[in-house]
Amino acid sequence: MTSLYRKWGRVIRYENGTTIRVEEAGEATEVEGVFEVRPMPWGKGAQTRVSVPHHSRRQARASVLQDSLLEERVPLPQASLDLQQVESFVAQTLLSVHSCIVERLIISAGISTHETNGVTWTEESRRVHLSLVKGRLRVLVDLASFDLDALRSVAGALARVGDAREAPPRVRLAPNVAAALLPSLVGEIAIEQRGGGFDGQGLAIETRAVTADDPPNWYRPSYAIRPRRAWLNLRPLPFGTIDESVPIAVAMLAPVTGTSLHVLCIDGDAVYPAELSADRVTSVSNDEPVWYPYAAGSFGVEMML
Amino acid sequence: MTRESGAGSRVSEIRPAASGLNLPTSFAIVSRDESWQRGTMVESRLMHGHARQRGNSIEAVDTCDERLAHACDAAAEAVRALVDTLREAQVRMRVRATREDDAESVETTITLRMHDLSIVTTPADAHRDYALLKVLTGVQPAAKLAPLPIVWLNGSAAVLLHEAIGHAREHGAVEISWPLWLTVEAPLALRRETFRDVPLPRMTHLMARQSGAPFAPPRERIDVQLVAGGGYDPVTDIVTINVAVSSVGAFTIQRTRSEIAASLAGAVGEPLRYPGVICSREGQQLYVASDAPVMLMDALP
Repeated sequence: MTSLYRKWGRVIRYENGTTIRVEEAGEATEVEGVFEVRPMPWGKGAQTRVSVPHHSRRQARASVLQDSLLEERVPLPQASLDLQQVESFVAQTLLSVHSCIVERLIISAGISTHETNGVTWTEESRRVHLSLVKGRLRVLVDLASFDLDALRSVAGALARVGDAREAPPRVRLAPNVAAALLPSLVGEIAIEQRGGGFDGQGLAIETRAVTADDPPNWYRPSYAIRPRRAWLNLRPLPFGTIDESVPIAVAMLAPVTGTSLHVLCIDGDAVYPAELSADRVTSVSNDEPVWYPYAAGSFGVEMML
Repeated sequence: MTRESGAGSRVSEIRPAASGLNLPTSFAIVSRDESWQRGTMVESRLMHGHARQRGNSIEAVDTCDERLAHACDAAAEAVRALVDTLREAQVRMRVRATREDDAESVETTITLRMHDLSIVTTPADAHRDYALLKVLTGVQPAAKLAPLPIVWLNGSAAVLLHEAIGHAREHGAVEISWPLWLTVEAPLALRRETFRDVPLPRMTHLMARQSGAPFAPPRERIDVQLVAGGGYDPVTDIVTINVAVSSVGAFTIQRTRSEIAASLAGAVGEPLRYPGVICSREGQQLYVASDAPVMLMDALP
């Protein structure tokens, strides 16, 4: 198998007090099972000035380069978000969560153009990772949008947290919690891969039922990582009825382990940590789901256990 | 630490304990990262770039520094010849040629993996550690896990102290009391893995020494030979150590720093070079040379 993948990207990232702006371009080839990655000039596919060892593979790679459809410089549009917007969101976030200690805050906005197998496409991304601490509790939030209300809501709940309780007999999972759990529910509930966009090999991502078969698409989170088959953009199919009166788990207190969850629950005026076991999902809401950056993409919508 | 917001309110934000550490304004890197199976290369990654820091802002681009590229390629070529002699292991070679302001360095690490065990070594120690790894893959548990005293062999106590002392310092944790016979040198510097990363206060190395320590290991004990990894949680103050090879097989220790410190019961001899620690923090993986004497720990409740 022979393949060539190229990526041009810019990102602005705020990370715990430092703002970093990164601009880079790279290409990855896979020739006879050997995966090679190297930076690439921003113009058309010239090779880097650094020598590449292993002559036979280098020759094979050269032929791949000749096959590339990319004959002109790939223009990368300016990210629609500028530095000021990132810094403004950082400031608003820090003010919104002032009732807790911010252990980690990483906010980024980026844009990248990809080219492989004759397909070129551009993606924009926003990511928020927030770790809030109160006492010995740590809440983890991962978002793909600059959703201040979501952060404010989680911080408000953590600020009011009481002692840990037993898991309630029935509990709802907020969309962000359900999205984190969803990759562990493959085979347990009906899940589809939601179509749209291209995968790491330039193949269209089509809506498909997630099965035990090999996934049709490829996940390539970075040009430096060898792509692997994966179901992308998981979405749980709705069933049953959500009971709005049962407690709701609004945030993760630790990463999901299998189907075990350590979460922050709200029951009326009470907020408490609880350990849940998601052995049986009894309903999935038919609300419009929200995409979260878990695994190879996961849509979150309210669920009930 | 606290930070003043533009609106005048105080918001709490934990920042790395970086005060007093030298922050380079310029960082350049060329690295090669190659993986080999049975003497055949299966993955090769070249990375280069430059970062320039002004205050709390960094501009990073993937330009190539020719001088560093030559240094990196020369070191990589030497390691490739070495890799060819380590054919029974999966081998990952990483060469990093860096310049921070005017200071240049080349760092080469080699990760050897056989079955489910791995160690991290350098070209100078690769053959010795390769032989050690082959021996360790044949070690079978001699007993079942039980609450017994633990003897940390092969410098493996360095990993325990790396987590309990080194990482705790990186996070600015409150100092706790350690045995008077123990001294640990684990200086911090602002380090980063790539030009895309924010430099963080990280250990440059860890050297533990004992002076006049008692050492009376009981016959019934656990001998630890290799550690798979570990962690320190600054929120709970809990240290986690995953033992890979011991006289009772693999097991995990999770205790607070105070419990770890109180359990240290003795040590003997000079520091032993532990076969490498690749330390990951905030997703940035860095090599930290680690040495410790053979140490004795009381049975953990």
